[in-house]
Amino acid sequence: MNAMVNGRLLDIRNLKTYFHVRGGVLKAVDDVSLSIRQGETLGLVGESGCGKSVTASTVMGLIPMPPGFIAAGEVVFEDQDLLKMPESRMRQIRGKKISMIFQEPMTSLNPVFTVGDQVAEVIRLHERLSGKETRERVIESFRLVGIPAAETRINEYPHQMSGGMRQRVMIAMALACHPKLMIADEPTTALDVTIQAQILELMNKLKSETGASILFITHDLGVIAEMAQNVAVMYAGKVMEEADAETLFSGPRHPYTIGLLSSIPIVGFDKRKRRLSTIPGVVPSLFSLPKGCLFHDRCSAARKECGNVEPPVVDLGNGHMVRCHI
Amino acid sequence: MPEATTRHAGYWARMTNPEDRHPFFDQAEKLLKNRTGVAGLIIISMFALVSILAPFISPHDPVENALYDQLKPPVWQEGGAAKNLLGTDDLGRDMLSRLVYGARVSLTLGVVSVGIALVFGSFLGAIAGYNKGWLDNLIMRFMDIVLAFPHILLAIVIVAYLGPGLRNAMIAIGIINIPRFARIVRASVMDEYEKDYVTAARAVGARDGRIIFNAILPNCLAPIIVQASLGFGAAILDAAGLSFLGLGAQPPTPEWGAMIAEGRAMILRAWWVMTFPGITILLAVLGFNLLGDGLRDALDPRLRD
Repeated sequence: MNAMVNGRLLDIRNLKTYFHVRGGVLKAVDDVSLSIRQGETLGLVGESGCGKSVTASTVMGLIPMPPGFIAAGEVVFEDQDLLKMPESRMRQIRGKKISMIFQEPMTSLNPVFTVGDQVAEVIRLHERLSGKETRERVIESFRLVGIPAAETRINEYPHQMSGGMRQRVMIAMALACHPKLMIADEPTTALDVTIQAQILELMNKLKSETGASILFITHDLGVIAEMAQNVAVMYAGKVMEEADAETLFSGPRHPYTIGLLSSIPIVGFDKRKRRLSTIPGVVPSLFSLPKGCLFHDRCSAARKECGNVEPPVVDLGNGHMVRCHI
Repeated sequence: MPEATTRHAGYWARMTNPEDRHPFFDQAEKLLKNRTGVAGLIIISMFALVSILAPFISPHDPVENALYDQLKPPVWQEGGAAKNLLGTDDLGRDMLSRLVYGARVSLTLGVVSVGIALVFGSFLGAIAGYNKGWLDNLIMRFMDIVLAFPHILLAIVIVAYLGPGLRNAMIAIGIINIPRFARIVRASVMDEYEKDYVTAARAVGARDGRIIFNAILPNCLAPIIVQASLGFGAAILDAAGLSFLGLGAQPPTPEWGAMIAEGRAMILRAWWVMTFPGITILLAVLGFNLLGDGLRDALDPRLRD
């Protein structure tokens, strides 16, 4: 249909999403550039409040304005800038071409409608199908996400289902119109570990079956290792390091990424009872960001210039980018 | 999944298994366990039954004059006869028959005026709650103005403008009750607005109107139902007030408030003409208030276990 530049499905360029707040402007996402190719999973990692979810909401056009506003940047999806698109066109893309899976399956489903009805609603909004065809599509999507006895379970209400089943329903909703891109905002954080593994396995399976791309947001590096081909690490609204997953896990260059990776406990590996390493300090408040490198006051490798000069983005080749004075 | 096998169980099993039941049954059960609610339900069912069966159970025509039977006392008093169980008024009309038909008038009036208030109030409240900002301010300040008028005075003004009569009294009572619904709905819409399913609805490409009325409003039903039940009682009371003042039901319509007004002059000679409609109004309003309280207990999520 349309040849995408470099085969990139989604291209976020120099995005700045700010919020007007009492006493100033909060730079939630500051100069972020990311891109996702067709059929690829990009993992977006970072601590709470680093701007991961705001990035996702900006792509979906769900930033409440005011207080939010886009100070600069482009979000190019299939060669069109979503930020310049009128709301009516944007509505046709949401749920149809780009869909979203939320963190809390407990509260993301409407409690007064049956789960089948809610999946059907998405189909009704975007496609002209008869009632029977819609029902069949709903059952098909329930089967796809591995919900047993789909014909009877479509008549259940959210409260009758377990957390894992509800997240499957959410995924069925996201898949119902065969989207090109799925944004998963911490889809497994609220689930216990075994269910988490099932859901991740399911998402990987569905990705290879449908060819959809995934923007996978999480704070769990272990999950990223299983899911993503490319990884971007965010800190205080900026991308600190970006690389393909193998490079990032085997040879991280940014001190923040190194710190994150070494603070993951490894079961059975700690023969010498080494203390788990941590990153000292806390995430800076977005109201009073440090001068120079945002990370310098917590950085173990900080030098003089780090506190004064904002570091450039260094290209190490093969798409490995680091924002650091290395 | 071991639970999957039980999904094919019969209808009865699904209804009796507390995990699988439709939430309506839980709430119905809760209401039936609540003594206040049940008392209200019984009283109101009685009134509803009486008004449906009015032509069959009333012993006389409610507007038929009987010049020889004027101001007959109730049957248990001296001079009373079994022909008129609760006596007659000054035109010889049978009190019991008038009260029975009066139930029809009052229930219709309640349905219509609460209906008006509910539809317009919910609509305005939902829009105000969803669009925080100038529209919310505009709507709610207007509601504040309506609320600032004494209740019955505003109704009188509206009826005076539209002209006296039962139909206009219903409209007036509907209008003065719009702000109550608007406020309650606005508050619950604002509550629901924060929930993730609203964001999820937006994320699948639903329009604002669809989100408000299809996704959010069904979640606000509980307070609306409670307010409707309480408002029913208030509407009957207001209508009786208007009719008492001669602005509501016009003679010879058997309306309880109008009956009280007619009997007022004879309170010393014939106490029953005024007392029975009074007791009836009291019972009806009490019934709706009890039901409203019971519903609140059954539907309030904070009291749910």
